[in-house]
Amino acid sequence: MSQLEIPEFLDYASWSEALKDGTLLGQECADCGHQTAAPKAACVRCGSRDISTVELETTGEVYSESTIAVSPIGFDAGFQIAIVQLGEAKTVGRVSDDVEIGDTVTLSDVFEHEGQPSPVFESVEE
Amino acid sequence: MARASIVGAGMTKFGVHEATLPELFAEAALPALDDAGVEAGDIDAFYLGNAMGGQTENDTHLAPTLASHIGIAGVPCQRFEDACATSSNAFKHAVQDVESGLHDVVIVGGVERCTPETGLGTGEMTRIFASASHRQYEQPTGLTFPGVFALLTKRHMFEYGTTPEQLASVAVKNHAHGAHNPRAHFGRDIDVSDVLDSPIIADPFHLMDCCPFSDGASAVIVVSDDIADEFDAPVDVTGVGHGTDIVPLADKPDFPSTMSARRAAEQAYEQAGITADDVDFAEVHDCFTGAEVMASEALGLFEDGEGGPAAADGRTYIDGEMPINPSGGLKAKGHPIGATGTAQLVELVEQLRGDAGDRQIADVETGIAHNLGGDAGTTLVSVLEVRA
Repeated sequence: MSQLEIPEFLDYASWSEALKDGTLLGQECADCGHQTAAPKAACVRCGSRDISTVELETTGEVYSESTIAVSPIGFDAGFQIAIVQLGEAKTVGRVSDDVEIGDTVTLSDVFEHEGQPSPVFESVEE
Repeated sequence: MARASIVGAGMTKFGVHEATLPELFAEAALPALDDAGVEAGDIDAFYLGNAMGGQTENDTHLAPTLASHIGIAGVPCQRFEDACATSSNAFKHAVQDVESGLHDVVIVGGVERCTPETGLGTGEMTRIFASASHRQYEQPTGLTFPGVFALLTKRHMFEYGTTPEQLASVAVKNHAHGAHNPRAHFGRDIDVSDVLDSPIIADPFHLMDCCPFSDGASAVIVVSDDIADEFDAPVDVTGVGHGTDIVPLADKPDFPSTMSARRAAEQAYEQAGITADDVDFAEVHDCFTGAEVMASEALGLFEDGEGGPAAADGRTYIDGEMPINPSGGLKAKGHPIGATGTAQLVELVEQLRGDAGDRQIADVETGIAHNLGGDAGTTLVSVLEVRA
């Protein structure tokens, strides 16, 4: 993913465009160091506006997970969701194979629903 | 000195209702007025909790509509929306306004319909409930609200060894309590295997770990401390704490602690001049069994990691050392979203007056309500006490 221009200020449109292209962007706070995978107008931990766009790590550890058996209308049932720790950031995503807390996973795909993307992770053999 | 007093309380049975939102609300509000012995003309303001009427029934601008239906048209009134913590937030504003002297007598209540009486099925309602998760960063994954609490609970299980059997024992206890509550949606004797044998909704939650979709309404009459003695059975409000946390879920630093509840409890206890040791019983937001375990710890009723074992050991039954959800909780009493917060207050009032019948807890003076909204992004904790 070398062609994508990393925007100075990350909004949802540029975040989702990058993700659809396979790149998970986030923000890092210059004041407290917090990283997020869900771009905002200010740092969610300290309120600083001195935040910059960063490319997040793509391999990390499962922090929590659940398999959703009853889904909202418009979604197929029976998919696994995970909260994944990627360096200093955590993100929610789908998982393509069965994982448990503590497993190592890597960004493998993108799931799109009505044009809105989510990261998909798969386990990494250690 | 109390911040305010509750002098009247009313609620409908929670369950399936054909009545419209105004009709349903009147079934709670008019009994609350009668319980307080106040007339419509005595009401200075009306604060309403309704979370999803716009989405579920194409019904908004509800406060003046409901005020008109119950005979108090013209008073200042407004609808609050904070997901499942909606009517507790309305209550907070009523307490502040009588405390400040702005108003003397305020009616606070909630109403919601969530069953197929709305015309919506499970998939549609699951989608609407999921609207409380982040629109851009969570909803597109297909995350559901059982899923949100599953993610919180799975981490609690990982860190503390909480087991599915311990979670199931919360449901067993709340169904046992609900069996003594004539207004409960459910309530019958079940055992742990009934829970564990029910279908998975979002693991670790089985169907019977989850509260139902319910219709219902509840209301309380809030008055200022200096006029409370003019009423027959005032119950004092000594603290109302309101904590929030980061949304979306993934940005929360720590899942099992439900920080919004800890912040709200700290505020509420400080206002009331109490600690968790002074609490005699609690109504907590058990939308899912894991939520009750985490709430019991966040409120300081049990040490972190002890909420699951305490439930499994029977310590949270009506006759246990720390009764939790004597009403049956959301799990058995039901969860008509906007009505849930004030319904918890109705239960506290009845327990503190000694009017709770078969589910009365002996010798209670201090009760708390824990009402959570969204992914634990909002929690309100209220402290009610027998009037000194």
